Amino acid sequence: MDTIPNPARPEVEPAQRWVFPVPASQVLPNGLTVHTFDLPGQYVVSLRLIVPLSVRSEPRDKEGVATLMTRLLDEGTTRHSTEEFTELLERKGVAFGAGLSDGGLHVDADVPASRLGDALELLVEAIAEPSFPPDQTRRLIKSRVAEIAQERASAPHRGARELAATFFDAGDRASRPTAGSVETVENLTREDVAAFHASQVGPVGATLVVAGDLTGIDIDSLIEQTVGTWSPMPHVVTPGAQPAHQAADAARIVLVDRPDSVQSEIIVAGPGPDRRVSPAWAPYPVLGFVMGGSPSARIDAVLREEKGYTYGMRASFRPRRAGGMFVTSGSVRTEVTAEALDLVLGILEEARTGFSDKEVREGIDFIVDTAPGRFATADAVAEEAAAVILDGLPLDFTTRNLDAMRALGPADLDAAYARFVTGEWTIVVVGDASAYADQVRALGRGLVTVVPN
Amino acid sequence: MPLDYPIHERTLPNGLRVVISPDHSVPTITVNLWVNVGSRHEVAGGTGFAHLFEHLMFQGSRSVASGEHFSALMSRGGRLNATTWFDRTNYFETIPVGVLDLALWLEMDRHGYLLDAVTQANLDNQRDVVKEEKRQRYDNVPYGNAMRDIYATVFPERHPYHHPTIGSMADLDAASVDDVHAFFTAHYRPDNTVLTLVGDIEPADGFARAERYLGSLPSRAGTLRANHAQLPPLETPERLEVIGDVPNDRLHIAFRLPVEGQSDFLAADLAMEAFAGLSMSRLVRRLVRTEQVANSVQAHAMGFVDGVSLGLIAIDIAPGADPAYVETAFVEELTAFLASGPRAIELEAALAQSERAWLHALASQEERADLISHYALLHGRAGYINDLLDELRAVTAEDITRVARTWLTPPSRAVVAYLTRESAEAA
Repeated sequence: MDTIPNPARPEVEPAQRWVFPVPASQVLPNGLTVHTFDLPGQYVVSLRLIVPLSVRSEPRDKEGVATLMTRLLDEGTTRHSTEEFTELLERKGVAFGAGLSDGGLHVDADVPASRLGDALELLVEAIAEPSFPPDQTRRLIKSRVAEIAQERASAPHRGARELAATFFDAGDRASRPTAGSVETVENLTREDVAAFHASQVGPVGATLVVAGDLTGIDIDSLIEQTVGTWSPMPHVVTPGAQPAHQAADAARIVLVDRPDSVQSEIIVAGPGPDRRVSPAWAPYPVLGFVMGGSPSARIDAVLREEKGYTYGMRASFRPRRAGGMFVTSGSVRTEVTAEALDLVLGILEEARTGFSDKEVREGIDFIVDTAPGRFATADAVAEEAAAVILDGLPLDFTTRNLDAMRALGPADLDAAYARFVTGEWTIVVVGDASAYADQVRALGRGLVTVVPN
Repeated sequence: MPLDYPIHERTLPNGLRVVISPDHSVPTITVNLWVNVGSRHEVAGGTGFAHLFEHLMFQGSRSVASGEHFSALMSRGGRLNATTWFDRTNYFETIPVGVLDLALWLEMDRHGYLLDAVTQANLDNQRDVVKEEKRQRYDNVPYGNAMRDIYATVFPERHPYHHPTIGSMADLDAASVDDVHAFFTAHYRPDNTVLTLVGDIEPADGFARAERYLGSLPSRAGTLRANHAQLPPLETPERLEVIGDVPNDRLHIAFRLPVEGQSDFLAADLAMEAFAGLSMSRLVRRLVRTEQVANSVQAHAMGFVDGVSLGLIAIDIAPGADPAYVETAFVEELTAFLASGPRAIELEAALAQSERAWLHALASQEERADLISHYALLHGRAGYINDLLDELRAVTAEDITRVARTWLTPPSRAVVAYLTRESAEAA
């Protein structure tokens, strides 16, 4: 019925090389480094304040104090009560957030450019002069305890906790939850929080990232009048990170029994590199894409598109500040749990025989050519810069990594994969263990332990 | 400062509306299609079908193999997906400029000629995938079916929003290849679709390419149904209690609201934000920070077009606190809010937060394209992204009070309570 012939399938023109934005950088007299990205058209300015610190600095019986400190930063200062500070942030249009990653503390604020000065003022007040009010400290402790119960009820969270406990040596901080456990959190006091803040948080060694449309804004003087006034404290600057120790018996299978689950969350993990790895980090994102980064990736081509067992499984190399992991995870329906696990392991191990030129080229082109779009907003630029800084890498890392990626061939990916994938896995399955424990044992893939949810 | 994102609009002879918004900051283009069909168009026995259908749009068409839509674009630096919601289905990709023609050609093939490739095997496979999606996102998650229960409690039987987009397992099982043919023919037509291009392209060039690839999509006859009339607020409270395997008690308190696209919806949105959506909101201050009987309070207005919108407040109750007390406190605070209207600083903060959130949404080409398609398709206002903040700022405290007193009253609430077994036994 069509009268006009449809046009033929068009050819694609190659994308041009692209570079990550280059900031203006300075170190203030108080020791704070500031990187400023002027991004015309980005009307919301993103601020990221990064303070290197490690949860390894927490006393063993006070684990979670760093997270509690982080969550209390916007709950009141020496100048403003909880209610006053909350109102100030919201009336100025600031979205405030703070969190902890493996490399340190990050405090985030997004604000329309017209109110950048207000946001910077509130940001420095939150980081430099938090008062940690006792009533809000108690509230956030209770809220962490409730959060632990919520995480236990969620299969992916529960699985992540079991993975950390199984993969890392029990003596290593990485084996336990970053935000602390019930027994360590319940007894924390505002004095613990204040002491941790005083000993760990200061401008020396810290970095502020500013990204957005700065047209007509005298950013240098705003910086000087706000974060420039943050007084250096005699705090401990966190030394370079060490990789967490893997458990001697990490290669085993743990089934977390969650009766009546309609799906099983499968997690298969092994060691991986951090982003400083020599000769290069570049192959690892490509490997993640080829193995488990799309519906046509090796895992989903079988588990999703051929078998229909899952909505999707993902595989990726996850760098930490030092060391890292290679993690494949996703949910499958209960009845096919053992078969799905066997298929995933087979696909992961089969890949040790090598990658094709086509899939390598397509993986590289995906990651390299999506970069301009992935880093097109102030938020995304600030986030990437913060991630690079938290990893202790130079700010041209993103561009150099993309350039290195373009030059990769199958032999580079084969070598990178073989270096970490040895066929030994830490496997966690969260689901109705009674339905498949025997079948999983019968796979002969290692010692199987069943633990309660 | 009024926003001035450029908006160029044209309707092709086959009825396809095309909107182009140039942005040369990045060498990429977002292609975003909205089709005016969603779960609100599903009939009894066919729930979940619009979404299942969306999956099939990736399983091949006349000249495209199954899965090739994803692989052809991803391997050339494209990021893409599709989503289905009550009101519409959207398809989108952000690609390097040199991939635009391929993206438009792929869209032509599936939006025009999907049925050539639909097979029982593809349908069965994607039915399984969607069932796993339902298990993963709803059935295997604490509170995962709360939204389903809220829609069923606040909206009447057979109303377009009574059932959730994911549908039911039984209805997914019942879907047939014939249903796919009928659905495609009824809804996937150029005069029921908007194409938006945002990115590194000039309007004349964009219109020419849209015409070249999508101008030949066949028109279809038949009238499209009009939206339903506005539903009034509930007259008496509705209630559903779900007792089960959840870590905390949680109250979901829902209200019917005016449809999106009129100033009363914006007033309702600001009322929800001022009353319960901010950290400084009186409800949050009392329940979370002062009395500490709730872990968190979340509030938002969800705009729909088919006769009603939804206002929702979710209160996660602190361990040991009494849900009945929390609901009483909620009613007290709401009553006080209705009596006095929003305080000046509540309105100031609600506006400031809405402004930042809106500018943040518009910051990315993807979301900007999606919002342009949204208002072009559902409201005939492609340029609304530039006007929304001005309309929001024009809402007065009196408007908010008037709208809240109509739509957000204690008797007009529907409560869906998810309770732990311990809590239910104690009550």
